[in-house]
Amino acid sequence: MFANKRLGKELIKIKDHTPPGITIAKSDSLEEWQMDIKVLDDNPLYKDQTYRLKFTFNNKYPIEPPEVQFIELPASSDTPRPIPMHPHIYSNGIICLDLLSSSGWSPVQTCESVCMSIQSMLTANSRNERPPGDSEFVAYNRRRIRDIPFVYEDDNV
Amino acid sequence: MDLQEFLATEPTHDRDDLVDLRALDFVSSYDSHLMCPICHCPFVEPVRLQCDHVFCHKCLQSAITTFRSADSDEFPCPSCRTPTTRVSTSVPRLLVNMCDEIQVRCPLQAEGCAELLPRCHVQSHVDKYCGYRLVPCPDDSCEKKIRKRDLQSDERCLHGYFLCSRCEEDVMEKDFEEHDKELCSSLETTCVDCGTTLPQRELKKHVDACPDVVSPCAASKYGCQVKIRRADSGTHEQTCPLISLGPYFEAQNTRLNSLELTMRHLQQRNEIFEDGMSNIRNTLLESARAGRSNRRRSVTEPDRTQSQNEDDPTETPNVFSSNATTYLLSLHESLREEVSQMSHALTDLDARASMTIMNECLRIKEDMAHTNAAVNSVRMQVQWLMNPRLHNGARTGVIRTNTASTAEARSQLTSTSAPGPSSAAGPSLGPLRPRRPSDTGREGTKL
Repeated sequence: MFANKRLGKELIKIKDHTPPGITIAKSDSLEEWQMDIKVLDDNPLYKDQTYRLKFTFNNKYPIEPPEVQFIELPASSDTPRPIPMHPHIYSNGIICLDLLSSSGWSPVQTCESVCMSIQSMLTANSRNERPPGDSEFVAYNRRRIRDIPFVYEDDNV
Repeated sequence: MDLQEFLATEPTHDRDDLVDLRALDFVSSYDSHLMCPICHCPFVEPVRLQCDHVFCHKCLQSAITTFRSADSDEFPCPSCRTPTTRVSTSVPRLLVNMCDEIQVRCPLQAEGCAELLPRCHVQSHVDKYCGYRLVPCPDDSCEKKIRKRDLQSDERCLHGYFLCSRCEEDVMEKDFEEHDKELCSSLETTCVDCGTTLPQRELKKHVDACPDVVSPCAASKYGCQVKIRRADSGTHEQTCPLISLGPYFEAQNTRLNSLELTMRHLQQRNEIFEDGMSNIRNTLLESARAGRSNRRRSVTEPDRTQSQNEDDPTETPNVFSSNATTYLLSLHESLREEVSQMSHALTDLDARASMTIMNECLRIKEDMAHTNAAVNSVRMQVQWLMNPRLHNGARTGVIRTNTASTAEARSQLTSTSAPGPSSAAGPSLGPLRPRRPSDTGREGTKL
């Protein structure tokens, strides 16, 4: 109930206005939204690409963080959406960002502010690589995102 | 209060029977500063943290229970993450008032209440004044609810059905008024234009199609003044010249619009170009100024001035060959600059010279003071030494031997205490002639 009211207000605001490079792609329900984000500067890793983020809200939002990950749409579709290359983003779209963990989350964050954080995380990156152990993680991980014990050792990115 | 106490307090607005202030429909948008960052509604019972961030009572409680680390009394502020141990329930009255004054719609809007009122009055409105609130039927045997404004003073149950005398439908008594005025199928009305009598609820449909309705000609926007019945409009359309011209007018209008649009585009482009031009002009002027500053530097190096002055005129015409006036102006400007540069240098030199003179003077003055002091001390010592001699000379033979011995002792005393040349000069001054009487008088006051 609490979550729906807050999400409703956020949705009105997002539909009215979004920051540059961020657009709402899908918001059929108040449980799952999809956002398209673009990196605005000339970073060669992400130039001319659009990425799709999937937000899954539970009924404790905004006290609990939403689940956020990149999703891939095939290159042959009308709107190709790859998974961006980043040392903190696994090739299945899972993002290692302390903001999205239960400990780093703050109820003051909004869908919009999370998008902007991820956008700036991409902007600041210059390494064309996946996190260490990416292939194993992608092959074996069956846990839900919130249960993955990420270690946030790198404060630089 | 600290966190434990705060968690124990109950938000007063959180009871079930009260209006949920977060679900209200706001008439206009409100200032985002009045919005709780957690629930995104205007603050409900705001409380304040040590870092001055404000949240709703209820929102903060749920945030604290989730984010407080189990073993400590600290809680990071959701906005700035400052560790906090205390919560203050006193927030500026201004904030509370501003939140309370936001205009909202009555929560019973769906039932038909169109009331707009400040948020702080919603509760009392719903409790006491809103006629659309459903209340239990005053008849104890009836379990249905009824809108408050339909309550009769005699507290009858209005849920009984009875037959409408005109349309023969069953109508509940509480709905009868509405049925009687609007919904009853037997109600009839007449069309103003054609005089046909028809059921009231079909009137709207009829007016759209009625052949007798007088409407303006389709070309009215191009100036046709004729108003005509719908049935006759066909004949008018065949004769009206403006209607046949209509498509042409349309085409002209769209052309005009597109031309205006291109005009505006061109104007914008023109402005951009003009801006660019003035930019270019500015950079040219700046480069001229840079050339001059080169020359300014040459003032400090007089041997290179000559060559610089020869360079400049050859450089500048290249830049300004297209614009002779600007070139002359800039030349004039640079000359003037040079003159002022010279005068600057002059005053500088002047100041420097007077400064050195002053310095020298000071030093000489100091030296003179030193010399004065030395002369003075020498004089004093001479007087010391002369003193006993003078006395001796003035006295008789009996006392002479006595005084001589004391004078000896004294002179030795001074010779040890007096530094430098005076110690050497002291004893050698012994056999001097008696001094002038004027000196003896002065000696008394000095010593």
